Amino acid sequence: MVNEVLDAARGEALKALDRAAPYGPDIDVREYLGLRVREPAKLEIGRVEGVGIDLRRARRTAMYMQVDDRVVESLSRLSGVEVTTVEDFIGNYPDIARELLWRLIKPGQDKYTAIAALKGVGGYYVRVKRGVKVSEPIQTCLFMASEGLQAPHNLVILEEGAEATIVTGCTIMPEVFGLHAGITEFYVMEGAKLSYVMIHAWNRGTHVRPRSAALLEDRASMVMYYMNLSRVKTLQTYPKVILKGNGSKVYASSIVLGRGGSVVDVGTEAVMVGDAASELVSRFVVKDRSRAWARARVSGVRGRGHIECKGLILSSKAALYSVPELGGTGRDVMLTHEASIGRIAEEEIAYLVSKGFSREEAEELIVRGFMNVEVRGLTGRMESYVKNVVRLMSRAAM
Amino acid sequence: MLKLELKEVVVSVKGGTVVRHADLRVAEGEVLYIIGPNGSGKTSLLRAVLGYPGYEVVSGRVLFDGEDLTDKPMEYRVKRGLAITHQIPPKISGVKVGDLLAEILRRRGSTSEFKGITEMLRIEHLLNRDLNRNFSGGELKRVEIALTMAQSPKLALIDEPDSGVDVESLRFVARGVKEILNRSPFKSIVIVTHTGLIAKYIPPTKVCVMKEGVLKECRLPDFLKRALSEGFG
Repeated sequence: MVNEVLDAARGEALKALDRAAPYGPDIDVREYLGLRVREPAKLEIGRVEGVGIDLRRARRTAMYMQVDDRVVESLSRLSGVEVTTVEDFIGNYPDIARELLWRLIKPGQDKYTAIAALKGVGGYYVRVKRGVKVSEPIQTCLFMASEGLQAPHNLVILEEGAEATIVTGCTIMPEVFGLHAGITEFYVMEGAKLSYVMIHAWNRGTHVRPRSAALLEDRASMVMYYMNLSRVKTLQTYPKVILKGNGSKVYASSIVLGRGGSVVDVGTEAVMVGDAASELVSRFVVKDRSRAWARARVSGVRGRGHIECKGLILSSKAALYSVPELGGTGRDVMLTHEASIGRIAEEEIAYLVSKGFSREEAEELIVRGFMNVEVRGLTGRMESYVKNVVRLMSRAAM
Repeated sequence: MLKLELKEVVVSVKGGTVVRHADLRVAEGEVLYIIGPNGSGKTSLLRAVLGYPGYEVVSGRVLFDGEDLTDKPMEYRVKRGLAITHQIPPKISGVKVGDLLAEILRRRGSTSEFKGITEMLRIEHLLNRDLNRNFSGGELKRVEIALTMAQSPKLALIDEPDSGVDVESLRFVARGVKEILNRSPFKSIVIVTHTGLIAKYIPPTKVCVMKEGVLKECRLPDFLKRALSEGFG
């Protein structure tokens, strides 16, 4: 039965291999269709740790690690938490798989979902059972060690009343070029709370097209942090959160740094079906010759939504475009947005220099402050971790 | 011994002369007040002494602790031990008061002073707030004084510590200014004021009047009261 679902997805995907995404530079994905013979994948621990994965801790709790197409580790020592490969999940739970896989994201959505459906291998399945509250983060890592395509299909299920934090680090070896097109579907059931932190550290030759979507039931809440630590050739992602349930909430925060010649197009969309609340926050910093698009969209028939997009341009050749969109139907929805793009104020630099900092230190302090969004929904260690990543990003921006 | 000396200083901002003539001498152990009406060039003079960008000394010399700083950038002057507390400091989003204070202290190797400073200036409730955002007049001054205290400068230039503050805040501000003075190895300080309220707590040793961009001759402390009641003429 599951094969039928996957075969149907592949059938749909075949028709979409040339379907460009509405946003971001268009990439020819057909070159990734051919069969590739890969060298045995190697894992560089330093790079994995650089995207927030604490392997020693993860091995004592719950984790998933994939290098290229090979699943290196997949385990859970936490009661009420399952972590396996998505292939094992399909084998173990064919009925659930048929119901949930490719439900929130359509394989024919664009050429990147299509290539993932046709050639993708691996991906994590995380399930936190009803009422289980996990204090330790569940850590997952997708690592590209050799050239080509990495397109895992991830599935996260938080059952009724469950609470968990998932950290996903995606990174690559410096000399390796390729396409990362991970698919992630989140199901956050009634009263469940999910915190999801995603850290990217790519290289200047990589194209990145993650496709994510979440479904939130009644009183479910989701907090999302996205941060990219290093340059990338092109990156385009626009996760969609469907707030189906009444009382459901999403807070999404993207902190994005454009460096070198990177082209970055990152946004979050919230669709409020129930009486819900959405808050989408972003901080973009661009330098060198990079170009970035900061997108956000909130639409709905009920509830409250707010978008806050702020950008800082640090070089005369960098460009930043902020595109907040609001769409409401009926009288029961209230949507607001604020957006700004600017540069570092000389007055602020001079002030900090008068307090004993060098100009470079002053700029770093201001950029760090700019990126310093409110950290919500994370426990002590994760909160410190997010702040530390912001510190690294502000240093990298200088 | 002279610690700060201004010799026939002329200051220009955006091409316009804002200080037409300033001669000033600050000796060791001196609490020097510069008084004068609003718009007389007091703040511009302090900023020019510190080498603030945009406040250009177009002629004259600025000597500090035996060194001619006239052509040195602000960063250098601050390293040499000059500091300023601003009358109207900028708001900086995301930069937390506590983080900034801790960082200034860390660089001096004096992190243990954090608690004492925050308690003395009553700014504990502001530590997690963005710098100067939505602060009251008193809070602005208290934070400024705290940051200057953390710098522990040889000579502080205190700009209008007593304007826009309530009586309660003024007491804490004055306590902080006194502490900055005590920490100064020169036991000297320069205070700019147009209200003179702070003199109740820190009496001047010398009072200089600035009017229409000219820093006039300095006088004995008892002149302060007369000037504030009868005018700066």
